[in-house]
Amino acid sequence: MAEPHVARRRALTVAGVLLSVSVLAPYLVMLLTALKPDAELRITPPRLFPVSWRVTNFLDVVSDPEFRAWLRSSLVVASASTAIVLLAATPAAYYTARHRFPGRAAFLFLVLVTQMFAPTTLVVGLYREFFELSLVNTYTALILTNAAFNLAFAIWILRAFFASIPRELEEAAAVDGCGRVRTLCSIVLPLARPALVTATIFAFIAAWNEYIVALTLMTDPDKRPLTVGITTYVTAYVQHWNHLFAASVIAIVPVVLLFALIERHLVTGLTAGGVK
Amino acid sequence: MVYPAIVLVRTSLARYSITGRHQGWVGLGNYARLLGQEALPTVVSNTIVWVLTIVAVTLVLSLGLAQLLNARFPGRNVVRWTLIVPWAASLIVTSKLFVWIYDYYFGILNGALVGLGVLGGPVDWLGNDRTVMSAMIAVGVFVSLPFTTYVLLAGLATIPNDVHEAARVDGASPWRAYRSVTLPLLKPALLVATALNVIYVFNSFPIVWTLNDRNPGFAHDTMITYMYKIAFRSGLRDVGLAAAVGVVNVALILVAVAAYLRTVNWRDAEA
Amino acid sequence: MRTPLTLLLVFVMAFTSGACGRGGSAITVVIAEYSKDHTKPFWQGLAEQYTKQTGTKVDLRFIDWNSIDQQVSTMIQANQPPDVLNLNSFSSYAKDRLLYSADEVLSPKTKDDFIEAFARGGRYQGTLYGFPILSSARAFFYNQDLFARAGIAAPPKTWDEFLDAATKIQKLGGGAIGYALPLGPEEAQAEWSIWMWNGGGDWKSGEQWAINSDANVATLSFLSDLANRHKVTQVNPGKTNRTDGAFQLFKDGKVGMVMGFSPFAKELDAEKKVRYGVAAMPTRGSSAVTLGVEDYLMGFKKKDNQDAVKKFLDLYYQPENITKWITAEGFLPVTKSGLTQMSANEKLRPYLDALPNARLAPTTDPAWDKVKLDVQQNIGRAVQPDGKPRQVLDELQKNAVASGGR
Repeated sequence: MAEPHVARRRALTVAGVLLSVSVLAPYLVMLLTALKPDAELRITPPRLFPVSWRVTNFLDVVSDPEFRAWLRSSLVVASASTAIVLLAATPAAYYTARHRFPGRAAFLFLVLVTQMFAPTTLVVGLYREFFELSLVNTYTALILTNAAFNLAFAIWILRAFFASIPRELEEAAAVDGCGRVRTLCSIVLPLARPALVTATIFAFIAAWNEYIVALTLMTDPDKRPLTVGITTYVTAYVQHWNHLFAASVIAIVPVVLLFALIERHLVTGLTAGGVK
Repeated sequence: MVYPAIVLVRTSLARYSITGRHQGWVGLGNYARLLGQEALPTVVSNTIVWVLTIVAVTLVLSLGLAQLLNARFPGRNVVRWTLIVPWAASLIVTSKLFVWIYDYYFGILNGALVGLGVLGGPVDWLGNDRTVMSAMIAVGVFVSLPFTTYVLLAGLATIPNDVHEAARVDGASPWRAYRSVTLPLLKPALLVATALNVIYVFNSFPIVWTLNDRNPGFAHDTMITYMYKIAFRSGLRDVGLAAAVGVVNVALILVAVAAYLRTVNWRDAEA
Repeated sequence: MRTPLTLLLVFVMAFTSGACGRGGSAITVVIAEYSKDHTKPFWQGLAEQYTKQTGTKVDLRFIDWNSIDQQVSTMIQANQPPDVLNLNSFSSYAKDRLLYSADEVLSPKTKDDFIEAFARGGRYQGTLYGFPILSSARAFFYNQDLFARAGIAAPPKTWDEFLDAATKIQKLGGGAIGYALPLGPEEAQAEWSIWMWNGGGDWKSGEQWAINSDANVATLSFLSDLANRHKVTQVNPGKTNRTDGAFQLFKDGKVGMVMGFSPFAKELDAEKKVRYGVAAMPTRGSSAVTLGVEDYLMGFKKKDNQDAVKKFLDLYYQPENITKWITAEGFLPVTKSGLTQMSANEKLRPYLDALPNARLAPTTDPAWDKVKLDVQQNIGRAVQPDGKPRQVLDELQKNAVASGGR
């Protein structure tokens, strides 16, 4: 029995390594391009590795005040909109989970409908809305938009998880004299951590990667988020592919780290929340 | 989000000059004009190919990947983390990256394939009419894998171990056990993954926009880039007509997803 | 989606953020981003100077060329046009009666200083609405090292000499490309204009569109042959853009010839990788024609902004200001005073010499704004291996006539 077991594990490991390599391959090209000097970007035949390694490309990008402004913008927008999503979605999800509600079938469909409106189709209306509120070119506008786009999905994930938490736990707390809000905070939320993590990840990534709304609403170069900002490294007049990719690598790393830290919870959260 | 949607519908019912100035209401005139657009059949068929191929290929690959990542082996966590990278990278960055990789003169893909002798000479992946759609679809699949795989992983986690054991005791082959036990239990996860993917892929703007940007005309556009080009890039320059395309888009996805959910009987799956 | 909670948040955040004060009088100025290094510093300096002089604040917005059409259209759809706009077209805005005329917002001194050809290019139905902001002229760039290696003595003057030179360079092998032809969507109308005029054709004949004239069909067939029969261009010229395609290849030293302009020379000088020469366009006619391009500043009619707009424009058109910026960006003057100041610059001589013979695209016709986009999106199809030059030009002509009718 032992032999086939070991062989199986080995085969799985090999498959896993192959998978990692093929997923990472394009980003390896990105990293290596980011490390090339300008003169090596366009040579034929193309080379994967730099001849002379230019780590300073990363320093150039980090010390570019515009890049720092973009990074700050992305961090502010993604964090704040994620916070709003959680603050708004938690009570909403809890309420719908504990009260009679037309059923999750209808709710799932509503979530899907909110996802169907492509941001591309809505930019004009969004611009008009925020113009009337005098919010064009403010973080607030982007934060609210991202929060709105991601709210329904978060409620959906959280609702199902709350529904799976046995009512008896809360009733016991109520008997002990806890109020509704305290019960939510001290009993339900700790139990729902996986779902909260999942909702956080979704909202954060979606906001971190949003492009077209930011492009339209944030015309001030200093307030653009990373997605819009870094594309200016490669435009009609300048072609700094190495800087574009160095900036991209820097933009990817925090998200991957965030993921790696809480990935365990992600599967659990999706399991209970989304797809059971 | 309600207000912008109303603006979209209102815009689709009016005529605008090239500068964006309102020139009066035209009722459903923009929709009628849309039906008369020569490029429409091409764009619709591109969209169908784009959505169906990406969703189908992504689901098949993700089923395999989820199975792999659900098994226990050393280093599994690291592999799971790497799968996150295409998700964590923004679509616009990944699209630019592939423009770079596919480049005719300097791209590493041509360099590698020619170097290995697979190709006799370089291919203009994003310029050749025969390869550009496949090249874009490959990127589409690549960026859809992480989300889909994670949803399916979550689905696999809901299946109790004893179900597999029972199947094994019954002497079913692994493949049969998978088809008759695992797949049916994965149905809810597959359902969610499919519906969300159809929507995301249909609405995906950055990939086609970036990879197709130097090709003339509408030969490789999907509905969503077609809409943008009508509004701002083509000789039409017409935001009213573009808004009509936007409304039609939402209606199309709504119908497609509703039809899909109906055929797979999602209410049963929910129960 | 719009729950009371999000509404509440809108208001809370609107009042707490305070990042967007529209207090006091302010004008919105939208400027296209010509370069990362020069555009922003110049206009910020000008805005500060303006605020100091007038007390009016300036909401400056820099928008890259890729999204400026979308941005401006969105603003106008939302009924919130800027006060001052910088763009490469004006006549559609004039036609929609959105703009101030020169008499309303320019001082007589400024108005009289414009070089006549550029003032003419800014008139709609006889009135000046599009104020020239800067100009450029195309010139023919060739790689001197590749010319020497291929044994070509002088830059070609005729199309036969041109084809001969391109063939010789292509034959050098090692990835050498005879001519980099950018007919992709970015700026195809510019490349096409130059070839068209030097082939004896034009956009219009009198007041009528003449896009599919026999001369133009012959010219487009010549370009298609360069790509498909003689194979002396880069791969897929109908799908190559100018700046990130043709210019880059020339900068890499791979290309024998390309149509460039003065900012491109600036880039080449900065990189010092390619030894290049600048010459007149090869032509089929008796004298070479080049393309002149002017961009515009426009003042939008809004309540109570006329005085503020006028002061802002007057400040920009102070000779020291306009010349400072045009020089920094590497473009060419649009005013007589600027021409005098800049003619001392030897580097600019080939372009300044070409200016008198430069022709402009028919930007004064509002239909042009659509024709241009239609040409950008479609002319590349004609030089594909299975392309049909006459059919493509017939379609463009049909659409041009139709847009003129509206």
